[in-house]
Amino acid sequence: MVNEKPIISMKKINKRFGGVKALESVNLEAYSGEVLAIVGDNGAGKSTLIKVLTGVYQPTDGTIEMDGKDLVMNSHSDAIEKGIDAVYQTLALADHLDAASNMFLGAELSKKFAGISYLDNEKMRSEAERVLKERLGVVLKNMDAPAESLSGGQRQAIAIARAVYHSDLRVLVMDEPTAALGPQETARTLKLIDTLKAQGLAIILISHSLDDVFEVSDRIHVMRRGKCAGVVKTNETDKQEVLGLIVGANKQAA
Amino acid sequence: MTVLTTKNLNEKLEPYIAIIGPLAMIFLIMGFMGVVEPARYFRLSNLNIILMEAALYLPMAMAMTFVITQRGIDLSIGSVAALTAIIMAFLIKVYAFPAWVGVLCALTIGSLFGLLNGLIITKFKVPDLIGTLAMDLVYRGFALVLAKGLVLARFPDLITDIGRGRLPNFLPIPVLIGIATFVLGYFLLKRTFFGRYSIAIGSNPEAAEMTGISVDRYKVYAYMLMGAMAGLAGVMLTGKLNAVQATSAPYFNLHVIAAVVVGGTSLFGGRAAMLGSFAGVLLLSMMINALVTLRIEFFWQSVASGVVIILSVAFYTWLQKKDRDGAKGIKAVFASPDNLKLFKLVGVISAVLIVLLAIGNLTSGTPAVSG
Repeated sequence: MVNEKPIISMKKINKRFGGVKALESVNLEAYSGEVLAIVGDNGAGKSTLIKVLTGVYQPTDGTIEMDGKDLVMNSHSDAIEKGIDAVYQTLALADHLDAASNMFLGAELSKKFAGISYLDNEKMRSEAERVLKERLGVVLKNMDAPAESLSGGQRQAIAIARAVYHSDLRVLVMDEPTAALGPQETARTLKLIDTLKAQGLAIILISHSLDDVFEVSDRIHVMRRGKCAGVVKTNETDKQEVLGLIVGANKQAA
Repeated sequence: MTVLTTKNLNEKLEPYIAIIGPLAMIFLIMGFMGVVEPARYFRLSNLNIILMEAALYLPMAMAMTFVITQRGIDLSIGSVAALTAIIMAFLIKVYAFPAWVGVLCALTIGSLFGLLNGLIITKFKVPDLIGTLAMDLVYRGFALVLAKGLVLARFPDLITDIGRGRLPNFLPIPVLIGIATFVLGYFLLKRTFFGRYSIAIGSNPEAAEMTGISVDRYKVYAYMLMGAMAGLAGVMLTGKLNAVQATSAPYFNLHVIAAVVVGGTSLFGGRAAMLGSFAGVLLLSMMINALVTLRIEFFWQSVASGVVIILSVAFYTWLQKKDRDGAKGIKAVFASPDNLKLFKLVGVISAVLIVLLAIGNLTSGTPAVSG
């Protein structure tokens, strides 16, 4: 643990959809410079949990604290404003636009000439190049190439660069970042996670791949049937124990 | 470090393919006509006719490029052009409006119709194909109701200048208007939020929505631009003929869509080719003019436009297929049982038709005089 106090702590979060209890009294803490992995079976509540964290859903009850202060988020843009953003499995990139256009999509930079404002493509391009290089260590050979011609890892980098650039980002949620990637691209993405972690971000990684989880995470938060089945330190556990928690074979308190 | 390494010829060519395609076909037509009818085709007066014909479609092709890039389509532009022209004609001829007010009214009314199309598509969730096709009937119907079969003719100089005027020793005014709309279109596409979002919406509508782009609003903008440009085309057409009637501009829709698609803008959205649309309009005008020069009946025009649409869409789709496998050749097509069944179906239908024609021929008597 790098820091004593968590950036984010979710306390006794409940989320019900009608009669369905999606989350039941879930606690979660995320620290600066740490990778927290969330694992669990399909329908265990992982997605609901991060949607609550990123402001997409509002919890039925329970509180979220940021730096020890109560945090109320009514929408995803509230979360982004507070420095919490997510990169989803489906990367939300426009395939026909280049890296810079994608990175600034919906928040383009513009300048004015004779009262007419127009897109500042040059600035966006140089900023995109800078952020990709300085923050993520990624250099695209051809900045004009449309996103569809880029590799999975490069597309991932663009999606992350978007999150990094547009907010004073402190918590980054990554939903299945390696799901659609080959082994090489997976390795690059995991390296990217390390890079971001070194910059003091709190990374919350949702993954089905225990290999990936054990490679990059510091702690593992196991979800099972809407409840937290346990939080374990990665270097104090093994896949067997985590698998046991996922399927509910052994009981262990959080 | 992630570095893009693979970059074959195909990828290098890809950005330019939109412009190479129509240009190649333009040269093909020029070459063909150069051999068959050089004297009449390359006359200065004929080139002027080609340009004037193209000019009429240029503003609409510019706007249609945005609509199609957003995965939309507008099949109502011919009727919008006719109806706005008729309304303008009434304002000028019956209510004695000054010509310039009439022209501005036409543009505004055109954009209003476009706005209406956009709202029907985005708010009532009527699919664009059906929505604009139905509105095509509505606008055409209103034009017929208003004009009642009349031909309104003889307009003030401003209108005829817009339609067929010419700056001394320079290009015709409609051509200049067409080029100006494309300069505007290029700026809109490359340098404005509208252009950027049009590509994003066509490329990945969900992503556009997720990044906070107001997808519906930008769609409405595109249809509005389309309507305004159709209105402008209506004014240009009226000025060119110095007359307008309710049945004017019947083939605008497919002609403009053909020009845009042949220019490389993808019907599947996201791929905008502004220069390609310009070249596409020129290409179609040259093709139609070639048909006229070769004294082929006017009615073949619509056959030619349709064939051009099918061929260019099929060609661009084929180009984009990444797992193209040309090695197996034609035999592979018939190896697939599905294709074999389709092939048999073609055979059966052809056979039935041949038998029917034979029966008709054998049992036919003397033809009765019709009417």
